[in-house]
Amino acid sequence: MNLPHRHQRGVAVVIGSGSVKCAAALGLVNVLNRAGIAIDMLVGCSAGCLYATMLAAGRSTAEAAEMTRQLWTSTITDQHNRRAWLKAAFPRLFGFDARFGLRDDRLVMERLNAAFGDARIEAMPTPLFLTATDFANGNQAVFSSGRAVDAIRASIAVPFLFSPWPIDGRLYIDGYMSDPLPVGVAMREGAEVIVAMGFDSPYQEHISNAGRFAFQVSAILSNNLLKSQFAFHGLAHHAEIIPIIPEFKQRIRMFDIEKIPYIIEEGERAADAQLPYLSRLLDAQAAVTAGGAA
Amino acid sequence: MEIELSLSGGITVVGIRGSVDGLTADDLMRILSDRVSEGAVRLVADCSALDYTSSAGLRSLLGAVKLARQHGGDLRLAAIQPPVLRVLDLSGFTGILKYYPDVETAVVSFAEPA
Repeated sequence: MNLPHRHQRGVAVVIGSGSVKCAAALGLVNVLNRAGIAIDMLVGCSAGCLYATMLAAGRSTAEAAEMTRQLWTSTITDQHNRRAWLKAAFPRLFGFDARFGLRDDRLVMERLNAAFGDARIEAMPTPLFLTATDFANGNQAVFSSGRAVDAIRASIAVPFLFSPWPIDGRLYIDGYMSDPLPVGVAMREGAEVIVAMGFDSPYQEHISNAGRFAFQVSAILSNNLLKSQFAFHGLAHHAEIIPIIPEFKQRIRMFDIEKIPYIIEEGERAADAQLPYLSRLLDAQAAVTAGGAA
Repeated sequence: MEIELSLSGGITVVGIRGSVDGLTADDLMRILSDRVSEGAVRLVADCSALDYTSSAGLRSLLGAVKLARQHGGDLRLAAIQPPVLRVLDLSGFTGILKYYPDVETAVVSFAEPA
């Protein structure tokens, strides 16, 4: 059910990287919906792209949660890409190249296509921006047009796991590599009030194999990048960035889809805590706008 | 947001209650700047009743820290509550500000060699 919007101006919602934890954004959107606060634009990074796209397409939060259960299961990483292993072991013999990924991505592509088909970013009812990272130079890439499936696949191309994804002749990898919480995109697009939901990458409890070692290194880098980028944007933005950081008391692993209700609940709790201020801020802005127009 | 000023061992203690955000950050910055202009360059922000800070609040805190340091003093934080500490940590502020578990320790820290 769509409630009438209580506030004239809405907010930009930025959903950072965080695998299944990004479902907390559905809790945030539930809170905004209940308060009658419109979403003017959505920005997504990595798994946050899935939710940003579902919401921008007009899916309800319940539908989005159900889609996640269908899409984001551990089976998407079950299939090894045998040729990639051979390329890693014998690079000259098997022709190692930039499209390296140790997991077969056919299942994830099948599911993304089933979920989003040929939907295009520029045709979404709510303006949508999806971020990835240019594999050639590390620059952030922002997709505001084109096939949503391509941008999502690019943005979830976790290094070593899924191969970089080609779009218009360039290769892209996971958006978290350039900015795990891309509030800068919302700033650039003119957002005045940015509600940013970000997540720390979990550190490994035990470093028992090379994969866990790689994830630990990646978590250290991405958590430090998250801090530095967020600090820069917070100080650079003239208006307001409201960070919403859910606190998960349970450990959430990459594919813990059975914990989605709990994740959404924590997202709601974190958003509820900031709602009184957000409402006051939007009311104050509306008063300034009305005063200026009078 | 409510501000309460007091003196403890020659240090100005600024008790901040409520939320430092886009609606209140300018007030905080003005109050802190006034104190620094009056020569009170060694300040402790008592954050025990501070329950939220947004990006605007962070900018004002950072501005106050820079101003105090430019005048040979410092603004140090005390008794930061976990939700605020998470935002400060996420924003990298815990790496550039000095913070202490309580006001007394923060006040005493000014007596220690820098």
